[in-house]
Amino acid sequence: MYKIKNINKSYKDLKVLEDISIDFPKNKTICILGSSGCGKTTLLNILLGITNKDSGDIIGFEEDISVVFQEDRLIPWKNIKDNIKFVLKRKMEKEQIESIIDEYFELVNLQEYKYYYPKNISGGMRQKINILRAFLYPSNILIMDEPFKSLDINSKEVLINFFKDLRIIENKTCIIVTHDIDEAIALGHKIVILTDKPTMVKRVIESEGIKDKTELRILIEEELIIKK
Amino acid sequence: MKSFTLKNRRLSVISKLLIIVLWILLSRTIDNEVIFPTISSTFHSFTDIVRRPSFIIIISHSLIRTLIGFVISLVLAVIIGILSSISNIIYHLMIPIINFLTSVPTMAIIILALIWLNNEFAPMFVGFIMVFPILYETVLKGILDLDSNIIDMAKVYKVQKMTLIKDVYIPNIFLNLSYIFPSALGINFKMVIAGEALSQPKYAIGTNLQLQKMYLNTSGVFAWIIIILLMSKIFKYVLEGVNHLCIKSKI
Repeated sequence: MYKIKNINKSYKDLKVLEDISIDFPKNKTICILGSSGCGKTTLLNILLGITNKDSGDIIGFEEDISVVFQEDRLIPWKNIKDNIKFVLKRKMEKEQIESIIDEYFELVNLQEYKYYYPKNISGGMRQKINILRAFLYPSNILIMDEPFKSLDINSKEVLINFFKDLRIIENKTCIIVTHDIDEAIALGHKIVILTDKPTMVKRVIESEGIKDKTELRILIEEELIIKK
Repeated sequence: MKSFTLKNRRLSVISKLLIIVLWILLSRTIDNEVIFPTISSTFHSFTDIVRRPSFIIIISHSLIRTLIGFVISLVLAVIIGILSSISNIIYHLMIPIINFLTSVPTMAIIILALIWLNNEFAPMFVGFIMVFPILYETVLKGILDLDSNIIDMAKVYKVQKMTLIKDVYIPNIFLNLSYIFPSALGINFKMVIAGEALSQPKYAIGTNLQLQKMYLNTSGVFAWIIIILLMSKIFKYVLEGVNHLCIKSKI
């Protein structure tokens, strides 16, 4: 189990995160749901070590972490294959990199795009590669920061299914930060609802046990809208 | 878009025709070969120059001077640019030097070059002094303005520093340089010729320009100017072609 305990963060007098404690069960997808600008990205940056916390404990996040950013963050002058090789170089031997890339591109049916440059593929496809890169990187934890935010509805659906397929192949503990209820319902085994600033944990829903998605939606909406 | 390009091409042809018409009108009105030669006399001078056995030697010497000066500027700009991005001290030390080089008049640099160096090296030095600040600032910009999102991504994935330098920083520096290569090389070429005109090395375009002037052979001066323009165009097309093959088709 990965954990954060009593995380606090302020920027000068502005309290951003207050006493945030979340358990992240291994190999499950945990969606952190909150309105835009509530401090979700700050929380992720603390987990990634990009931002320092004021107090609290982070347990288990010292190991290598894969990340899917909002933007694809692909290197424009490298083709898709080389973009993935770029993050794998430190972790694997050359031959292993080649074989794992070939294997995964075949599994997800993207062989024909291997030698394309980022500018020559669509935004949705670039985000697919961003997700694939994160899955290919050897890590137990995958953190995703609003990965489907900039996509249209059709591309979003395609990417959510793509993510689900990859999760079957490579089981990682996934932490997805989102403001989209549909994404949280579609992907989360556990949904953590945050309040607005100062951000606190409002409710934790073990969504895996709730089969009726309408009931789950009502539960989330009650927390997000009615009790606001 | 297509019609826009076509329109631009048409305008470009019209402007070239206009220059020729103006040339004909001016040469007829002035009617003095020493002040403003006709197209036909310039053409004769041009064919005379090109037919001379020394022609290839002359232009190749000027080209070699241009390329040597440019390569030295490029290597130093890359090394000092990288050092400036790493060291705050070097960065601040370079500011007054670059300011001096960019604001000092070209003629002053040529005169100093003539005092300090022999006539073979002075043109190269002049070209170097003019082009180095442009290349240095481009290298520095290529490092400092690199997309921070890519750097953060590399940090999160714990990419090794050497890989980051080799795969991200250096390609980004050369990508930025590739945009200014044609104009920087053009400036370098012109400055080398200016330096040659004053330092008078044995084989040089600048020396020949000066020689034509001394003999009051203005059509010869015009012919050499046309040769310089043609060479600049060739430079531009070659570099744009290389650029397109290596970079623009990808980014």
